[in-house]
Amino acid sequence: MIQVDEKPVKWYQGMTIADLLEQMEDVRFCSVVRLNGRLVSSPKFADTRIPNDAVIQLLPLVAGG
Amino acid sequence: MGHMQLKEIKATPYVRAEVKKGYTDQSLHINLDKADIRISPIDTAVKEKFIGGKGYDLWYMWNAVTGDTKWDDPENTICISAGPLGGTPGYPGGGKSIVTAISPLTGAPIDSNVGGYFGPYKKFSGFDVIALSGKADQDTVILIDGIQSEIKIFAASDLPETAYEMSDALTRYFDEEKPVNISVVTAGPGAENTYFGCLNFSWFDAGRKRVRYKQAGRGGIGTVFADKKIKAVVARFGAISMKTNNPADLDALKIVTKTHAKEINTLDPKQNRMALVGTTHLVPIMNDHDCLPTHNFKFGSHPGAAVIGEGVYEHIFDKGFDGCWRGCAVACSHGVKDFTPFTGPFQGKKVFVDGPEYETVAGCGSNLGIFDAHTILEINFYCDAYGMDTISVGTSIGFVMECFENKLITTDHTGGMDISFGNRHSTMELIHQMARGEGFGAIVGKGIRQMKQIFATQYHADAAFMQDIGMESKGLEFSEYITKESLAQQGGYGLALKGPQHDEAWLIFLDMVHNFMPTFENKAEALHWFPMFRTWFGLCGLCKLPWNDIVPEDNKDTEEPAKVVKHIQWYADFFAAITGKKTSADDLISMSEAVYNFQRVFNLKMGYGTREHDTLPYRAMGPVTAEEYESRQERYDTQLTEKYGMDISGMDTNAKVAALRKERESQYEQLKDAVYERRGWNKNGIPTKETVKRLGIDFPEVLEVLEQNGVK
Repeated sequence: MIQVDEKPVKWYQGMTIADLLEQMEDVRFCSVVRLNGRLVSSPKFADTRIPNDAVIQLLPLVAGG
Repeated sequence: MGHMQLKEIKATPYVRAEVKKGYTDQSLHINLDKADIRISPIDTAVKEKFIGGKGYDLWYMWNAVTGDTKWDDPENTICISAGPLGGTPGYPGGGKSIVTAISPLTGAPIDSNVGGYFGPYKKFSGFDVIALSGKADQDTVILIDGIQSEIKIFAASDLPETAYEMSDALTRYFDEEKPVNISVVTAGPGAENTYFGCLNFSWFDAGRKRVRYKQAGRGGIGTVFADKKIKAVVARFGAISMKTNNPADLDALKIVTKTHAKEINTLDPKQNRMALVGTTHLVPIMNDHDCLPTHNFKFGSHPGAAVIGEGVYEHIFDKGFDGCWRGCAVACSHGVKDFTPFTGPFQGKKVFVDGPEYETVAGCGSNLGIFDAHTILEINFYCDAYGMDTISVGTSIGFVMECFENKLITTDHTGGMDISFGNRHSTMELIHQMARGEGFGAIVGKGIRQMKQIFATQYHADAAFMQDIGMESKGLEFSEYITKESLAQQGGYGLALKGPQHDEAWLIFLDMVHNFMPTFENKAEALHWFPMFRTWFGLCGLCKLPWNDIVPEDNKDTEEPAKVVKHIQWYADFFAAITGKKTSADDLISMSEAVYNFQRVFNLKMGYGTREHDTLPYRAMGPVTAEEYESRQERYDTQLTEKYGMDISGMDTNAKVAALRKERESQYEQLKDAVYERRGWNKNGIPTKETVKRLGIDFPEVLEVLEQNGVK
């Protein structure tokens, strides 16, 4: 199980951030997440595997300076 | 150096105007030629149309200068205003000052939005706006004392040289017992000797018992300040509460302030964590999206970025409250204590560095090939202490480094320095030279536009290549985002009134990552709405970060998430609570649109403000060199074949660079057409008579400028 925006989400072996977002609704503006506190950006979503028990926060917008 | 001497040469007592609904309705004019101090009421019509902040600044500047005024003419006027909402303690980002002048870099009006307590203290001392004109014949310090209700002008001698020391000395000089009552505006030696001098706006950090700073960085207003021989302007004021603005509806003000602050306190830790890391979270994000300027904007990412972002600065920022305004929940103004520079006049001494923010990390770090958090801190420290804009410094040195590596300039020109990318020792030496106005640094301190001319005429460097790689537009150096893959943000830079600064529009992700604006019309709509809304913060004395850097959790469910409409409604409520005017979200756009178009006409008055001035160096649009193209070859090849339908099988890299350039330059011109039309401007980028009439800025002098430029 992982926590995504403080809600439990079922985890599976090999799950990537891209896989996670694929199964979620209303994430069209999500280009960055925090995975266990570390920033991960959209170009790396498909290659970033989520460990079990991970805490993930979806950053809603990147608004620039 | 002896002890600081301040000799009073003028003292004018005044009756402090009561603040009513966010306004004092008084302006303060100080002419340095004659040490003249004049207080004037602000007309109701001006208040209605220009709102405050940048609007007031531009109006008073417009009336002070002619179309022939140059930056160093006495009539050039520095205006500072906080806006009607500025000075609301506890409202996130509620204490900004907006500063304007005719820029040494652009020759047109420049504006800069800055934290620190000066703007609110000045307003509560009785003045919505101050206008500083003329030139003193000796070093001068101005005091606006809202506690004693007195304005004083001093002849100054033996002042500390750097802004770092001067602000501290003047803070303690003018209120030893309660230094928190003081805010100082200073420049520094670098402002005297470069064209991109900044102003440091201070506040006294009661927790750390030290003077802190934010910078009005862009466009060389510090240079104008120094040219007038103003060493400092000091505001003094006492206790401030939510009642100090005398709001129309105190209860409503308390509610909206508490609501917005609570949301930031709740959500910032889950989102950008700006209260911990400032804006340094943007470094890894921009790097991952290929948008972090690297080696003079040649590339958008570098493996070294990992050691200059939030992951490092989080651990070295000093812990404690870091709001540049009282009670601001964003509290992003972090700093590093006990930092020891390895060069310059502070070598070996412990200092406090205010910063760095993202722009400084990117401009003075990755853009120079310097992936060293310590050196970035040192550059940050000296730029502030010398009074130089870190963005222009970083972007200018990046240009020099690329020129050096391409042998357009050599050690014969640089005084023997190797100015290759990554050379931190030469970078520091250049910065010290800039501040002293000596050596090759004196040339770099003139900015990229002048460097291009000097290198071409005196060193016979390739003018066309420098035009492509010199990251300036309208004479202002670019702020720190790669825009090659975002046409909308190319417009965000190229069509910005003052030059390529991102405070009008930051559309990179909406455009490039989310493809939210696929058509020219979509982009034009964004390049209308976002600049108009963001202008409003400058009218009212606010910071934009609380609007869209921390967003409501249900924002994604709204019709237009990019606008963060819930917050816009809060801002409308905020405006109504202070001013007593019933205000809708659309009203905020209307307020800005009048001032925005007025500024465009102001540019026109100064000889700019037309299509030819909305140009970009090609590097902002696409790869200039074969090296750049080949570094992202798959991306560019795909575009040529799939987007433009070209057969590239027989083309070498240079041919592909040229083909892509033709397409991208054409797109940018089409974008200009679409944006001009949306903004109600003609094909030459000039507001039409119908537009200025609709916005109520069809004053005779505005119409005269339009007619002089062929608008019938």
